[in-house]
Amino acid sequence: MINLIIDGKSIRVPEGSTILEAANSLGIKIPTLCFLKELQPITSCMLCVVKVEGRKNLLPACATRAEEGMVVINDDPVVTSARRTALELLLSDHAGDCMGPCQVACPAGMDIPQMLRYMADGRYNKAIKIIKEHLALPAVTGYICPAPCEKACRRGQLDESIAIRLIKRCAAELDLSEALPYKPVVLPDIDKKVAIIGAGPAGLGAAYYLQREGISCTVFDDREKPGGMLRYGVPERELPRSVLDAEIDQICSLGVVFKQQVRVGRDLMFEDLLHSFDSIFLGIGKATSDDLETLGFDRGQKGLKVDNETLQTDIPGVFAGGDVRKGLKLTVRSLADGKKAATTILQFLNKEPVTGIVRPFNNRMGKLESGDLSQLSASAGNSERHHPINPHEGPDKAQASHEAAYCLQCDCRKADSCMLRIYAREYGAKATRYRGKRREFVRRDEHPDLIYEPGKCISCGICVRITEQQKEKLGLTFIGRGFDVKVDVPFNKSIKEGLAVTANKVVKACPTGALVFKGISDNKN
Amino acid sequence: MKDPDLTKIDGIIASVGKSPDKVLPILQTMQKTYGYLPQSALEMVCEKTEITPAAIIGFSSFYDQFRFTPAGEHTIKICLGTACHVKGAQTVYDAFKRYLHIPEGVDTDPEGRFTIEPVACLGCCTLAPVVQIGDVIYGHLSTDSVSKTIKDYLAYYKARKKRSVKAFKFPDISGVISGEVRVGLGSCCQARGSGYLKQAIEQVIDETAIPATIKHVGCVGMCYQTPLMEILLSNGSRYLYTGVRPEDAREILLKHFRPRGITRRIMPVISKGLDIILNAGEPTSIPRYAIDKREKHVADFLGRQRNIATEHCGSISPTNIDDYIEFEGFQGLKKAMTDLSGDNIISEIEASGLKGRGGAGFPTYLKWQTLSSQPDKERFIVLNGDEGDPGAFMDRMLMESYPFRVLEGMAIAARAVGANRGYLYIRAEYPLAIERMTDAMNQCRARGFLGENICDSDWSLNLTIVAGAGAFVCGEETALLASIMGQRGMPRLRPPYPAQQGLWGKPTLINNVETYALVPWIIRQGGAAFAQMGTENSKGTKVFALAGKIARGGLIEVPMGVTLRQVVEEIGGGIAGGLKFKAIQIGGPSGGCVPAHLSDIPVDYESLTSAGAIMGSGGLVVLDETDCMVDIAKYFLEFTQKQSCGKCTFCRVGTRRMLEILDRLCNGQGKSSDLDQLEELAHQIKQGSLCALGGTAPNPVLSTLKHFREEYEAHVAGHCPAGKCKALIHYRITEECIGCTICAQSCPMGAIEFRPYEKHEIDHEKCIRCGTCKGVCPENAVIVE
Repeated sequence: MINLIIDGKSIRVPEGSTILEAANSLGIKIPTLCFLKELQPITSCMLCVVKVEGRKNLLPACATRAEEGMVVINDDPVVTSARRTALELLLSDHAGDCMGPCQVACPAGMDIPQMLRYMADGRYNKAIKIIKEHLALPAVTGYICPAPCEKACRRGQLDESIAIRLIKRCAAELDLSEALPYKPVVLPDIDKKVAIIGAGPAGLGAAYYLQREGISCTVFDDREKPGGMLRYGVPERELPRSVLDAEIDQICSLGVVFKQQVRVGRDLMFEDLLHSFDSIFLGIGKATSDDLETLGFDRGQKGLKVDNETLQTDIPGVFAGGDVRKGLKLTVRSLADGKKAATTILQFLNKEPVTGIVRPFNNRMGKLESGDLSQLSASAGNSERHHPINPHEGPDKAQASHEAAYCLQCDCRKADSCMLRIYAREYGAKATRYRGKRREFVRRDEHPDLIYEPGKCISCGICVRITEQQKEKLGLTFIGRGFDVKVDVPFNKSIKEGLAVTANKVVKACPTGALVFKGISDNKN
Repeated sequence: MKDPDLTKIDGIIASVGKSPDKVLPILQTMQKTYGYLPQSALEMVCEKTEITPAAIIGFSSFYDQFRFTPAGEHTIKICLGTACHVKGAQTVYDAFKRYLHIPEGVDTDPEGRFTIEPVACLGCCTLAPVVQIGDVIYGHLSTDSVSKTIKDYLAYYKARKKRSVKAFKFPDISGVISGEVRVGLGSCCQARGSGYLKQAIEQVIDETAIPATIKHVGCVGMCYQTPLMEILLSNGSRYLYTGVRPEDAREILLKHFRPRGITRRIMPVISKGLDIILNAGEPTSIPRYAIDKREKHVADFLGRQRNIATEHCGSISPTNIDDYIEFEGFQGLKKAMTDLSGDNIISEIEASGLKGRGGAGFPTYLKWQTLSSQPDKERFIVLNGDEGDPGAFMDRMLMESYPFRVLEGMAIAARAVGANRGYLYIRAEYPLAIERMTDAMNQCRARGFLGENICDSDWSLNLTIVAGAGAFVCGEETALLASIMGQRGMPRLRPPYPAQQGLWGKPTLINNVETYALVPWIIRQGGAAFAQMGTENSKGTKVFALAGKIARGGLIEVPMGVTLRQVVEEIGGGIAGGLKFKAIQIGGPSGGCVPAHLSDIPVDYESLTSAGAIMGSGGLVVLDETDCMVDIAKYFLEFTQKQSCGKCTFCRVGTRRMLEILDRLCNGQGKSSDLDQLEELAHQIKQGSLCALGGTAPNPVLSTLKHFREEYEAHVAGHCPAGKCKALIHYRITEECIGCTICAQSCPMGAIEFRPYEKHEIDHEKCIRCGTCKGVCPENAVIVE
């Protein structure tokens, strides 16, 4: 047995153990990308580097054997910075978007490509689930959203952007037309009460997502009916009220209580709300300083002071979002604010640090060159697009499904399980720190079950080693050397021929989205 | 394109073998057979051997030697070594591509006549810039000599095809020897035509029957004066001729020897055919004169040298075992066999203070000791002859000139550590070294110095030569061993060290050529004698390749402790052309630049490391005021970046990103934040790299940033102080112009209008800054701004 110390903790491990194994048995997590237990370590990613006392250089924990008396330091700024650099170097050569540009552009952050995949497959009941993860009023926004997503859509570079808004509207309206429209799981009551002032998009959004968490929401609004500017600002011809009513009904059905024609500051004192509720959300729309004063805020303030990340106001427990913040004109942004507030209010109620929604790490390819673009479009629908979809009537189910199939699917199918992304987030890596030549985006979909995108490969060699170990007849191999090294099937054979028996294994083991399964899975793993 | 003849595959497999580790020799034989590696042939090999498709593709695509498309009829190898680089090799390379209309991204012209191949180093640093076309070396090239060179080669090629090769035979002159003619036949001498000189001498001897024997000797080191021809007469007098051209041979020989017989009459007739070769092989005319070793520059050049690895240089025949024995050859081995135990040998090496000469300077005895203490008795010995540093050719010279010494050193080492089998891994770019080592090995076997029952003992040592396939990283020991075993040359983490687990998991001793070459002397003379030379921590001597902007370049062996200034000024004769000594680059792509004002430091491991350089394998490239330090850093980084095996993130991506920053700086697109990022990245790569290639790759950048930061800052400001970086300079014709039109005629881009008797002007839009006009102007009227 060998005794060593990692981050000040002593451990005894059998002879021949690596530092990584020793750290694991201590419960110390060391990040790895190229390491796989069943394979010999290759020391490629260098993410697992640690400091070893007496050694000048950092050492890869996955391959360095523990020695008697070794003092290993894992928790150290030098180590962390080296890992971050390794990640940033890998990202600088990573041709792929974690999230599609559409999702990035969407103020609500809706997973549009996933929604489109379900729609293309005719499964709108799945699509609506994706939609409602981020958007409380999808049918409404399906009418009035200016659709920044469509402006970001890469298909637009090629011919015409995907009609995302109308497809989403179709999904939402199909759902509403069901006898039992989609209803998210509502968690058991946690005995917390939140007052929501204002039944506009921000307040509705906050109510929808808070209620789902098992929090009792009461919405106070001075108008006759809920909807705020959606009802009292947007003309009927732009937004049929039946649609608005139907979606508000959905929010009601979760258990949200609406107190209409109640003006806080007049009918009900703000102070009282502060006493009787655990938290308050202000979604009062564009407010004058008079309005704010009646709510108990200092007169003379220029608008309301709201933290952009957490939506907290100066008063503890009071949050605000939507038009009450300066310059937020879009309904979808107000809806997004409502969702954001739901997150931070929940953090507040759970007495957790109120941090807001952590922006997901996103590697992006930016504007594509024509070569990359043609690779993206190769596997998407290429026949003549259906035209026109009547923008007033919207597409029917078949049209929506047809249109959705033209999505280039820029997003990464492993966006949630990609270890490169997970560690990039953990180590605060900046994807654009190092500029320079990167791999080209290539999409290989000749295999019936999987897609290979070598631009996302980090040359860790896990797949190469698996095919070798499993005695795959052709397998995968490294081709070339240095910066230009690629992983491919020998003799220019297809991926299908290369992965005759190991396809499932290599896709699962690939730490990035370079190898992914085809078809739609419910999560991006 | 013709389909490859696949019936040859069976023969190749039969002669080489079927096991997975035979992939390297199989591919080399295939490439020799087909000129490239046809896919159908590769697939067939996979069917008929144990080599898998993944292995054969992974392996063959790793090494530069292999090509997958047919090459052109003629191959032009353009040396991009350090010495050539500082003398403008890149512009010469560009000029060849332009002249042959070879498009970007391919290496062969559309008609398939010429393939152009950049090579790391041809080892003719003193002739820089150098190209090799077919088997002819052209030196001192410039952008305007490209068309001349190609025409000359084609003429030579045509003539040679017509001419049947005349076989020379030695005259029977036994008993009446009245003299010996020595010709240096190292690669660099040969590059400068010593092969032709030797042929010419043989022809003269043959025709005139003068009482002379010809002896070819190894490298004398005086590369700046090659080809060398030394005449030793039986009366004891010696004459050394330098810069001898083949056509001079007759005159020189007849001056010293009296011809016998009547054959003399026919000689003018026969000598005709050679003229073409002579002109082809002779790059420029150089002053030729007889010198003796007392002459000052020779005395200076040789004065500080001490020959241990290069013992008997200029006197000993590289390929004659009897000659070697006569010069105390194999006495060390005999002593090791009879008087000394393995531990005794190791003690002698310990006493000598010898450190590995491959670069890192690890104490040799420690490595040997580790090996001999391993429980596993099956052990290997390996020669690391994969010298890849551009600007370094010490090991090549040692293998070419002293192959027996290298083998004797290996045999002693093998004896000490108890190895019975071994490999000599020699880079394929050194065909002469491979030939000589093979020849020497065969002679040793025949005489009982290798093989079974060495020196009539029951001990045996069987060695095999493996030709490396063109991957600099294989100089790293774990990569080299992987390569021998038929794998991609990717270094692995140490420990376990090769001394513990090397070839096929067995303890393996791997040392550099020079290290082995020093061993026979140490054993013969004793470790203490060796330790008397050198400094406190660096004992003995070191062989260096001295090149660059220096008056006398060549190969030198000096005791440790001489100062860099002594090397540059005394041995090297200072900077050529009266320019200012700026810096000396030591250790190639792993090393650094020591500025002139620090050049009084002694040559030893510690001093060089503390100056930001390393001893490295021994390339010394001298730089003058016209050399841009950012460009030098970029040059080396470009090299290591290309040579990275690509396994580890820091090296694979990091060196590339560093290079891109340097590119931006040299293109005038740098920002001051780039310098910080460059430095930070350099440190990260150094500490996060697994092997020495990555770990030392940032050194040229770090050392120039340390000593010449102001030059980097000047580049950020859009200015190249040395006037080297093309994007930051332009050429201008001054009032000195006499309107001779030569520049206008020579400009490859037509950027100078033809205006006889008027001052010419350069169109900066068209100008590609190749420097041709500056080179050809007889009035020095073209300046760089």
